[in-house]
Amino acid sequence: MMDLKINNKTHSVEVDPTMPLLWVIRDYVGLTGTKYGCGIAQCGACTVHLDGKAVRSCSIPVSAVANKNITTIEGLSANGTHPLQIAWQEEDVPQCGYCQAGQIMTAASLLKDHPNPTDEEIVAGMKGNLCRCGTYERIKKAIKRTVKK
Amino acid sequence: MNRRNFIVSSIAVGGGLLLKFENSLGANADSEIGNFLRVSSNGDVIFHFVKHEMGQGVSTAMAQIISEELCADWSRVKIDLPLADMKKYNANFDTGGSCTIIYQWDLLRQAGAMARQMLIQAAAQQWNTTPENCYAENHMVINRQSSRKIGFGQLASAAAKLNPPKEVKLKTSKEYNIIGKRKKAILVPEIVTGSLQYGIDVKLPGMLYAQIERCPVFKGKLKSFDATNALKVEGVKQVFTTKPIAGLQTLTPYMPHDIREGVVVVADSFWAAKKGREALIIEWDEGVNGNLSTEDFEKLAQQRAMHRTDPTGYTGDENAVSNVDHVRKTLRAQYVFPHQLHSCMEPLNCTAHANPDGCEIWMGSQAPNLIVTELARNFQWKEENIKVHLFTSGGGFGRRYYPDMAFEAAYISKIAGNIPVKMMWTREDEHRCNLGHMFQHMEYQAALDKDGKLYAWYEKELRTYTWAARYHDPALPTMAYEIPNVRFDFEDLIADELVHSSAWRGVIIHGRAYAECFVDEIAADQKKDPYEFRLSMLSKDRDVHVGDGNFLSSKRMRNVLMLACSKAGWGKPMSAGRGMGICLYPYGGSYVCTVAEITVTNEKVKVDRVTVALDCGLVINPLGVENQVTGGIVWSLTALFHGGMPIKNGRVMHSNFHQNKLLRMDECPEMEVHFVETNDEKPGGVGEISSPMAVPAVLNAIYAATGKRIRKVPISLQDIIPG
Repeated sequence: MMDLKINNKTHSVEVDPTMPLLWVIRDYVGLTGTKYGCGIAQCGACTVHLDGKAVRSCSIPVSAVANKNITTIEGLSANGTHPLQIAWQEEDVPQCGYCQAGQIMTAASLLKDHPNPTDEEIVAGMKGNLCRCGTYERIKKAIKRTVKK
Repeated sequence: MNRRNFIVSSIAVGGGLLLKFENSLGANADSEIGNFLRVSSNGDVIFHFVKHEMGQGVSTAMAQIISEELCADWSRVKIDLPLADMKKYNANFDTGGSCTIIYQWDLLRQAGAMARQMLIQAAAQQWNTTPENCYAENHMVINRQSSRKIGFGQLASAAAKLNPPKEVKLKTSKEYNIIGKRKKAILVPEIVTGSLQYGIDVKLPGMLYAQIERCPVFKGKLKSFDATNALKVEGVKQVFTTKPIAGLQTLTPYMPHDIREGVVVVADSFWAAKKGREALIIEWDEGVNGNLSTEDFEKLAQQRAMHRTDPTGYTGDENAVSNVDHVRKTLRAQYVFPHQLHSCMEPLNCTAHANPDGCEIWMGSQAPNLIVTELARNFQWKEENIKVHLFTSGGGFGRRYYPDMAFEAAYISKIAGNIPVKMMWTREDEHRCNLGHMFQHMEYQAALDKDGKLYAWYEKELRTYTWAARYHDPALPTMAYEIPNVRFDFEDLIADELVHSSAWRGVIIHGRAYAECFVDEIAADQKKDPYEFRLSMLSKDRDVHVGDGNFLSSKRMRNVLMLACSKAGWGKPMSAGRGMGICLYPYGGSYVCTVAEITVTNEKVKVDRVTVALDCGLVINPLGVENQVTGGIVWSLTALFHGGMPIKNGRVMHSNFHQNKLLRMDECPEMEVHFVETNDEKPGGVGEISSPMAVPAVLNAIYAATGKRIRKVPISLQDIIPG
């Protein structure tokens, strides 16, 4: 048995310790906002925060996160009120939406490190996240919107 | 209160629309006003959305259309995805071909107008006046004389008791408040909080997980397998072959599947299923493709392109390119558009729970109707016993039109003992064992007369995907240029394909748009400006017949050409290593022109800016259309820079996104979309129109910048040193 702290709640799970955190979050804890896209940290759809920092949960075994505070998209804010979530709506960012939780989680962590990022810093920080629908321009605009405020 | 159902046929357009009206069960209950609309007691209007939302914005646009005629307050409009019921909704569920808005346009307006008229009638009855004395606006019915108002929520129950009107009065476009306005996509609030459920997110009590180890070579077979080690993996429950469903097809001739032979592992988690697969020992009979590569196939296509077949269609003289009386010079070129992967961000998946009489299915699908009819036919179930739960998907792009995932999941659920099973493709499965975009080889020849005018155009398309049939009508190249002799030949390569081909967003247009590169080659040969050259061949207003009942308007082609080039600043001085290129193309009644502006530095191409001019008729949601168009440019640039499906020894070489790269944020250009002013009263489709366009535009820009002509993508395989 393992205790995991996710979004300020403790969940007890009994899983293979080599199972990537992504699958524990989705299938055992039941939080499906974090998505499977590639399994090899190439797409960013699985991004969560470990003690506030963005990581690709598909590539971290659950055994490595026992004492960390894990935040998923569901825990980023109460009722979607994080400035990025609001900006995402104002800029009409998503299309199919599947990559967007990962995009937002990556952006949230980026802004913690770079509260006033240059365009280059935004691109460098976000280019690990794929979007097949091609919403990149609006993602950039939405991030910049929160910085203006 | 008696429950009375009224069933009425609306004015039949494109198949007709059945509306079923029911009484509410009480004053505070929700009211169904027709199958597509529910008005809740607090006044929210819920639109039952049965088409497929895959990011193309169709749920928002359809909700806008119905809300406009209903005269709803847009902020009160929500959508839900009901259980797919083919009889109840009687609207074609399938979503593809950029057709949805075109086909739904009349149906949705009539449904909204019917509901509006019933709400008005209910208010008129309450006020003891005539419907003519009332009107609807912004979620209310208003009495013209007294100015009194009643909200839709309060009227809904009374409206549901009324007879639906036999005729409806539709708004004119001048009265539109919602159609034509920039509206944010209706599902965004759920997306940004992670609460929107996709098919892959489904969880059922007692559900197990399944993954299939499929033959890695197309047309290969399963020789033998040993599950001993796999069954020892903790969490693995069952292992069996999927051979009985391999090769299953749908009835519709244009939907051939490639369900491969394989071995399925059923386990209590995704991870255990994955580990179980890794422990399988399998022997494959690789079959005819086992020692073939992409290079082999390209050679075959090239050989077949060389010989003349009978024309599929022509105007003027079918042998005009060889007519020495007129022809002084001929140009010739070959272009190749390779196989491509859909790479939907949500990997393919389907959850199924079979029972002795049928099956319940949970899946994001572009064609749930196909799931119902084809599962019934192939598994000997009754159609009414197949229940499909609808989901939006993390990308469809044509791949989710095919119901093969449902075949796989239903079979596994049944054989495993009628248990609920979530069958998932890993991203590696998606790369290695999937359908791809068709392979297209384009042969072009142009003949110039003694005045240097374009006298004849010959185009031959060879491709691996035929819609399982030849062209029915005489078909011509998809162009509206004034060329006296035009000929189109076609040959299918489907028998020799190394992977099975399928609809990939813009489908056949991706290869055929290379015509715009060949137009540029002719312009360059004649030392003509590519814009002026195109314009000179679109000077007359003509309706050009290109086969399959499609007419192209040369005027609309000209309009988008002029607008795009004007906005792009065509003709401005460009410094060394910089260039612009044009691609002008129609799709499904809409017209688009794309101008790419690039910089080439040290053999690396950077796309700086892409300018698009679009004529898609009446625009329902300009914001949604812009998003579709710019997203399609990104799609196109992915095919330009990356992509392809290289095959060696019958196996697709790319296994995931580190090899099959998709365009990333740092490669994304500035993009702008301009709409041609139109008085068109009807909307066109835009799902696929921009996805082919950036390839020819950028290839033409590369020529302008470097003098180098590239005739194949991805350009990462090309040497672009200025020639």
